[in-house]
Amino acid sequence: MTKQEAEAILQKTFKLSHFYDEQWLTIEKILKGERVLLIEKTGFGKSLCFQFPAILHKGTTVIFSPLIALMRDQVKKLNSLSISAKCVNSEQAPEENSQIINDAKAGKIKILYIAPERQENSEWIEATRQMNLSMVVVDEAHCISVWGHDFRPAFRRIINLVNLLPKGLPVLATTATATKKVEADIAQQMGGNLSIIRGNLMRDNFKIFVIKVSSEDEKLIWLGKNLEKLPGSGVLYTGTRVDTEIYSKWFEHLKIPSIGYNAGLDPESRIAIENGLMNNQWKCVISTNALGMGIDKPDIRFIIHTQIPQSPIHYYQEIGRAGRDGQPSYIILFYNPEDRRLPEAFIEGGRPAIAKYEKVINAIKNEMLGEKDLMRRTNLKQNQLRVIKADLIEQKIIREVTFGRSKKIEYITKAPQLNTKAFEELRASKTNDLEKMIEYVETTQSRMKYLCDYLGDTASGSFNNCDNTGLKKITVAVTTEWTQKLQDFREDYFPVLEVETKGTNLVNGVTASYYGVSNVGAALHRSKYENGGDFPDLLLKLTLKAYRKKFGQEKFDLILYVPPTKSGELVKNFAMKVSQVLKFPISHNLTKQRVTNEQKVFENSYLKSDNVKDAFIYKVPVEIQGKSILLIDDIFDSSATVKEIGRYLTNLGALKIAPLAIARTVGGDLV
Amino acid sequence: MNKEAAYWIALAHLPRWGHLKINNLIIQFYHEYKLTPENFFQLSENDWKNQYRLEYNEVEDLKKAKSELANNAFLAESLYNEGYELIPITSPEYSKNLKENLKTAHAPALLYVKGNKQIMYEKSVAIVGSRNASDKSLQFTDNIAKLVSKEYKVVVSGFAKGVDKQALDSAIKYKGQSIIVLPQGIMTFGSGFKTYYKQIVDGDVLVLSTFFPKAPWKAELAMARNPIIYGLADEIYVAESSDKGGTWSGVVDGLRKSRKIYVRKPEASENTANNLLIQKGAIAVDFNGIPVQGYKPIETQKTILVANEPKINYDNKIFGLLKTGEYTVKDILKKLQLDWSEKKLRDFLKKQKEVEMINKKSLRFTIKNQVVKQNLLFD
Repeated sequence: MTKQEAEAILQKTFKLSHFYDEQWLTIEKILKGERVLLIEKTGFGKSLCFQFPAILHKGTTVIFSPLIALMRDQVKKLNSLSISAKCVNSEQAPEENSQIINDAKAGKIKILYIAPERQENSEWIEATRQMNLSMVVVDEAHCISVWGHDFRPAFRRIINLVNLLPKGLPVLATTATATKKVEADIAQQMGGNLSIIRGNLMRDNFKIFVIKVSSEDEKLIWLGKNLEKLPGSGVLYTGTRVDTEIYSKWFEHLKIPSIGYNAGLDPESRIAIENGLMNNQWKCVISTNALGMGIDKPDIRFIIHTQIPQSPIHYYQEIGRAGRDGQPSYIILFYNPEDRRLPEAFIEGGRPAIAKYEKVINAIKNEMLGEKDLMRRTNLKQNQLRVIKADLIEQKIIREVTFGRSKKIEYITKAPQLNTKAFEELRASKTNDLEKMIEYVETTQSRMKYLCDYLGDTASGSFNNCDNTGLKKITVAVTTEWTQKLQDFREDYFPVLEVETKGTNLVNGVTASYYGVSNVGAALHRSKYENGGDFPDLLLKLTLKAYRKKFGQEKFDLILYVPPTKSGELVKNFAMKVSQVLKFPISHNLTKQRVTNEQKVFENSYLKSDNVKDAFIYKVPVEIQGKSILLIDDIFDSSATVKEIGRYLTNLGALKIAPLAIARTVGGDLV
Repeated sequence: MNKEAAYWIALAHLPRWGHLKINNLIIQFYHEYKLTPENFFQLSENDWKNQYRLEYNEVEDLKKAKSELANNAFLAESLYNEGYELIPITSPEYSKNLKENLKTAHAPALLYVKGNKQIMYEKSVAIVGSRNASDKSLQFTDNIAKLVSKEYKVVVSGFAKGVDKQALDSAIKYKGQSIIVLPQGIMTFGSGFKTYYKQIVDGDVLVLSTFFPKAPWKAELAMARNPIIYGLADEIYVAESSDKGGTWSGVVDGLRKSRKIYVRKPEASENTANNLLIQKGAIAVDFNGIPVQGYKPIETQKTILVANEPKINYDNKIFGLLKTGEYTVKDILKKLQLDWSEKKLRDFLKKQKEVEMINKKSLRFTIKNQVVKQNLLFD
């Protein structure tokens, strides 16, 4: 097929007039059944390089993509062009996925988007035995490489698959962000035999700034003052989930329309936010890096980071979504020298201690275990266990196998010893990347050029689009007016305790503060661990304020408090004071019927739940019947204890149980 | 990982081709023309027809197989992911015994294995026999497995009830090594992999199958699996055979292929076909697997049988008891103080026309008309 013939089809089917040179180069190779790695910046039109050949092929093209939002988006677009495309992902109902897989088997689908994790699903594997496959696409191919910014273990299987596919079946791998090292790694893993096409990465419509600050307050104040002055709508990236909440509450306080987004939200909320972002419903979406990088919104006018990312490649990837329409877009990074602690913690804490690896290996040697049982056996946090699991799979020490619907981890016969050198190399490489990120902040040269060089883009050109090359530098002016506004906000913002579950009469409660984020934590610590006596009145005042904000004038029939693990009357005394002020009767009848451990000893929710299961007893059950109950605790850590008490009291006939705590821990999932 | 796994799966399971035709094709392209399977599948239909002298139907089969290569790649990926390995006949890892014993006509083109492959290259002994073997045969099996394990040889068995299972369990008991040859596709052996997890992890068990990975158990596969057991082993011991069924046809087949096969010398009272196999050329061995010099099987078995066992007495006793109600095997043994194994009694009862089996939580037996009587009572 000549380019002219192809463009005739392109106009008819995709309503586009022509291919870019690099697009056509790629498509020609694909049509010949070759393998290609395509590295092009966001907005280049990589998708067309597989969508176009896909409609010419007889069978189905399968696209492995980790980004559900992107899949949804592209499917919508293709369907609007009358091309039969579908996606299979974990956020759709199983029935819907089954139907789509059946349609694919029956040859009714030209383009099928699928998450790499699906390769673990037996229904899908079964279907692949009968499907007529024409081409395989690996989207976001940098996820293959541990040297990239977003290594995903599920891609390992995709790579194995690619290596097993027969010659002549075209394979396209695409990414917008790959350093030379990652590029070489992808090519090597895909078994060589592939052409690499690399475009230039320069984004000249960006206006790039770095704002140096010396406190979190300065970031909040600058944003409070200036966010609305920025054009259009955009995204604000924070380092942690808690920060997404704090920033969105701050903007809410200032009446700037915004919304928080993180990986912990349910699919419906996430879809609603993604759609809202598309329709400019808010000035900005505040997100951890979990926000679908694949959102195909052409006019994101600004991307702001309140926290430096781990590496320039992370950063390039995250800002890459701005200004795909080519119009000017603001790229702003805040930097407080202290900020490097968070990425450092990720790099350090991302790698669990060797002893923990040994623990997992020993458990698995004796017994084939599922993830849950393994967490119970080893007392490891889920995310830590997953890191260990991925590493041990990588090192061919364990593997994950499927038994019907359940997954088990097994030890590999004659497995090698744990190779800790590999971790050290990776850690060194990541530390180096972080240094490079800080170098980006400190550089006096063109920032765009710095990023392009880092990514191995050798294209030349002018890079005069940052605060080092002509744009005016931004500094933060702190005024008493804004300091006061921030103070007001802090005294009026109380984190919610989300404990509502099906089957119990628990309702969401409230807490005065995050532990460790404010002076509340310090005061608690003094009383609890330094023999500082009763909780000070400051805490009572704040907790009551939190109560009023959440529950207003609502009346509760009864106050109970969580009985302590160790002896001590701190919580009891505190609850009595609350009872005196609110004038709700208090009962001391909730006790423990067996000894439990302190919840903080346990690293995961399964062990926390096991620890408190059936541990509580209420001496006079009839007192609970038909009552609404305010349940008081000092520090809300995991929800396991409150949920267990809630379940128990519900069974005794309580109508409503609301938790009230002085502080909640930040722990758990950071992003 | 064998990057050509998809091609090997296609070749190994060409429908109705049989081992001989498949192997001949492999010999042709691989040894004569020095092509890899990948190269071979890249050839044109004309090359297949002219160079390889393939018939129209055969070319059609290959075309179909070629169109399914991508599908095989998905299957191969999930096999590798679950820890199975694929060993094609051209691989240096392929069992030498299997190749030498089964030759072009019978050697499977592809082995699916999981566990310690090294076991395949050790000296090995197959222990085979019927599913309903007698205690004597099971004891013999246990003893041979013990001796074999002591000598660091590998026990090869077929994972059927009776002798096969005993051979495996005994090898494990005596800390020996075992190859389990499956009568089914390797991906359908989930529970087995759970049961023998520790042994597989420790490198003491290798599971091997030659069938399509998802093929469920079938009688034909069990029959087709027997030559693989014999083929893998250096020595073959038969604990017990009847005059038909898998063990019988396997041994007869092995004798035809001039394999040395050792058969347990039966006791005079036994109603087994062990003597028949010895007559056909198998070597009689004693309880320790040592050939019995000059043993001549006697054909007067049946007369001896009648004279020997006071079987009738037992029958009467047992039937007498069963007439009084429903009993489990344990109950019967206890009440009658019988010196039988539970298995023997259970098998005995199952064979009796007069006895009714009642599938309650624990299996119970009674006399048939007894049940009828009870029904009448309720009418």
